[in-house]
Amino acid sequence: MSENENATPEADETPPAVEATAATCCGASTPDESDCSGKPRRNFVVEALAATIGAVVGIVPAVIGGLFFLDPLVRKGDQKDEPIVGGNEPGGVVKDALGFIRLTLGIDALPEDGTPVRYTVRDDIVNVWNKFPNQPIGSVWLRRIQDQVLAFNTVCPHLGCAVDHRPSEGDFYCPCHTSAFDMDGKPLNVIPPRAMDTLEAEVREGRIWLKYQEFRGATSEKVPV
Amino acid sequence: MIRSLLAWLDHRTGCNDLIHEALYEKVPGGARWRYVWGSTLVFTFVLQMITGIFLWTAYSPSAQTAWESVYYIQEVMFLGKIVRGMHHFAAQAMIVLLAIHLIQVIIDGAYKAPREINFWLGLVLLKIILGLSLTGYLLPWDQKGYYATQVSTKIMGATPVIGAQLQEVVQGGAQYNHHTLTRFFAMHAGILPGLLIGFLALHLYVFRRHGLTVHQPKKNPDTTFWPDQVLKDGVACLGVLAVVLLFAIFKGAELSPPADAAKAYAAARPEWYFLFLFRFLKFEAVEHLGLAFGAIYVPGALMGILFMMPLTAKLKAGHRFNVAFTWLVTFGIVVLTTMAFYEDANNEDHQAAIAEAERDAHRIKELASLPSMIPVEGAVSLLREDPFTRGPVLFAKYCASCHRYNGHNGRGNVLREKGDNGKPVISTPEATDLANFGSRDWMKAIIVDYRNHFAPLKNAQWYPGADDAEFNLEDSEMAGASEEYAEAFKAPENAGDLNALVEALVAMRSWKGDEGKIDAALAKRGQQILDGEPLADGSEIQSCTDCHDTIGSDFEFTGEGGGYPDLAEYGSAKWLKAFISDPGSDQFYGAKNHMPAYADKMNAKDLDLLVRYMTGDYHETHVEDYPSRITEVFGATPPPVAAEPAAE
Repeated sequence: MSENENATPEADETPPAVEATAATCCGASTPDESDCSGKPRRNFVVEALAATIGAVVGIVPAVIGGLFFLDPLVRKGDQKDEPIVGGNEPGGVVKDALGFIRLTLGIDALPEDGTPVRYTVRDDIVNVWNKFPNQPIGSVWLRRIQDQVLAFNTVCPHLGCAVDHRPSEGDFYCPCHTSAFDMDGKPLNVIPPRAMDTLEAEVREGRIWLKYQEFRGATSEKVPV
Repeated sequence: MIRSLLAWLDHRTGCNDLIHEALYEKVPGGARWRYVWGSTLVFTFVLQMITGIFLWTAYSPSAQTAWESVYYIQEVMFLGKIVRGMHHFAAQAMIVLLAIHLIQVIIDGAYKAPREINFWLGLVLLKIILGLSLTGYLLPWDQKGYYATQVSTKIMGATPVIGAQLQEVVQGGAQYNHHTLTRFFAMHAGILPGLLIGFLALHLYVFRRHGLTVHQPKKNPDTTFWPDQVLKDGVACLGVLAVVLLFAIFKGAELSPPADAAKAYAAARPEWYFLFLFRFLKFEAVEHLGLAFGAIYVPGALMGILFMMPLTAKLKAGHRFNVAFTWLVTFGIVVLTTMAFYEDANNEDHQAAIAEAERDAHRIKELASLPSMIPVEGAVSLLREDPFTRGPVLFAKYCASCHRYNGHNGRGNVLREKGDNGKPVISTPEATDLANFGSRDWMKAIIVDYRNHFAPLKNAQWYPGADDAEFNLEDSEMAGASEEYAEAFKAPENAGDLNALVEALVAMRSWKGDEGKIDAALAKRGQQILDGEPLADGSEIQSCTDCHDTIGSDFEFTGEGGGYPDLAEYGSAKWLKAFISDPGSDQFYGAKNHMPAYADKMNAKDLDLLVRYMTGDYHETHVEDYPSRITEVFGATPPPVAAEPAAE
């Protein structure tokens, strides 16, 4: 900036004619746009350029911010809660690539007569930047059928209470709404909409591996949530 | 259709008049570039609102989550680096634009009657923006923001009469805590932006009431705000946006290590636009007059003069005084800022502190991205538990008074002491450089170059000891043996056997992923030499096991021995921990020992971290080691091991 002195309006005199045209056209006394549109110098290019640049400076930050906000959708593919093969973390849970969790008990720990054992499943829970190793995520009924394991989620398919085992009746029974199931999980009355939810379980070298899942309640179909 | 809809809307709201009012502001003398600064400030503020609100959606203000959430935004989330970078750099752009706008207003006389009120409104806006900068600086809860803000709140505490109470209220307690963050965040994202919007509206309203302060009203034909001035304003805003984006993409906002009240941050500096004040406070004369004088009264007086300007202007030559004052203060700020930068650039300690902060900042990102993620106690615990981070600090604290690590004290600093002429000189190491402890080079030097390897001991006060029991390199038994070995291994056909011997020793340590694979065949041959088999050329050397009879067995710390250091698992973590705990036990140097026993000086955890650092037992890192200072400290002919670079 070369000029920095007096800012009061008394600089060089310019031809008054020019000023006059400008004043009549754009003065505050005539706020109607149509007056100005008739002006020969009202340049469409300038208007278009001004509008475009104005839009760009507004839209660019908004779009960047908006995409940032859509982060959960954008990064869906590389979410961090992919299972860790072999579970090599201290105190963590051992989990394979298919999501099977290795339980702390072996098949030998289950009664041979098929009496169900209630077991709390643990997993490492990821909360954005934190990881909580070895947290309870749900519980299951485990039954030994020869050298295989039958696993039920304890959540009742009716309305989500926890299903008990009644040794006296030899059934599974939900105290909330009296859903009852036989030892294979089949409904014994009309209250539950479907059988108890079985879970994928495998026995590998004597250890039980389980894929823990939860399912939508109150539907006749078994839909994972 | 659209036209009738607009007419309907206008009839009910009168929006056409409003738009007209906004767009067809008269610009006498034509659109000028010098009128753009106010608009760029409004634009930057809008930019801050947009990026700030989006950052808000991912930020979590508490001592255990603030740094962590910012880390997550910056390093993991989609475009997070850009959004935070824009917010960070636009904040700085705002300060620059604010200064330009203010100077422009003063030199153009736009603060004079009838625009006094608007000038004062502008000064209020300036204060609000400085408040936003200050509160925003703390929010990432990193070392830099934490310690810089500590200074600000301490200055607050120096306020006469109410200082202590003021500080405690602002901090939400006597010390920084969760509430310091929630309070600062409420200020930064709620109260201050709210005030800013309100005062900005007043500022613009009063501005419109009096119109532009026209510089040369007849230079060009009169025009209106739309589109001529809007175009110029738009181009200027685009320029600001481009600069901010470039910085965000190519430089990125800094995130220093997580705040740690227990770890002083020597690199602490305020943001660059407050550096002048920081430098001003460092003048001895200013310091002498107390914090309140330098940090409250002087800036207060300057603000007072600024505030009085519209009134001063009424006096004869008042405007000239104001302009001169503005340039003078600007000049002073530029000079002080330059001084601060220059002095820091030439301050070795400050540079080392910055290097350490960068090292920690890089390291914490490595640790936080491990599959174990960040523990609930916060990321700061990752650094506290990390041998690679804590090791150098512990080395500097416990070992560096005698030993060195690549010539420095473990943290990259060369140690100095007062020389004969009063000027600082580099302190002479009084024990071996430990950067290569346990490496092949280390083993080799002990075997064939023992005297040179331990030569720094000669600088120690106690050396040479008069007492028979004292250690003396000249008649040390091992030094004699080493001479013999050097002679024997000189024969070209024995070169492979020296490597074999070294391999056998390195194989015993059972650590060090970083030492490369152990050559099992070579180590086996080395073990034979250890046990006394003749060398390749048939010559026989004294077997190591003759004196160090436990070589090859498992190490166990008993504190008892036969007068020769126990070298079972020599160099392993187990051995090193026992040695550092009590080097003077009969199992190690016995009566000849001069190294302090650290069993009572260090707690078990620190000892563990130090040993794990020295034995390379930590998560893999890409952080560069501190540069070697060997030649500065040991001169042109450093001891054999120290001469080798630490990395392979």
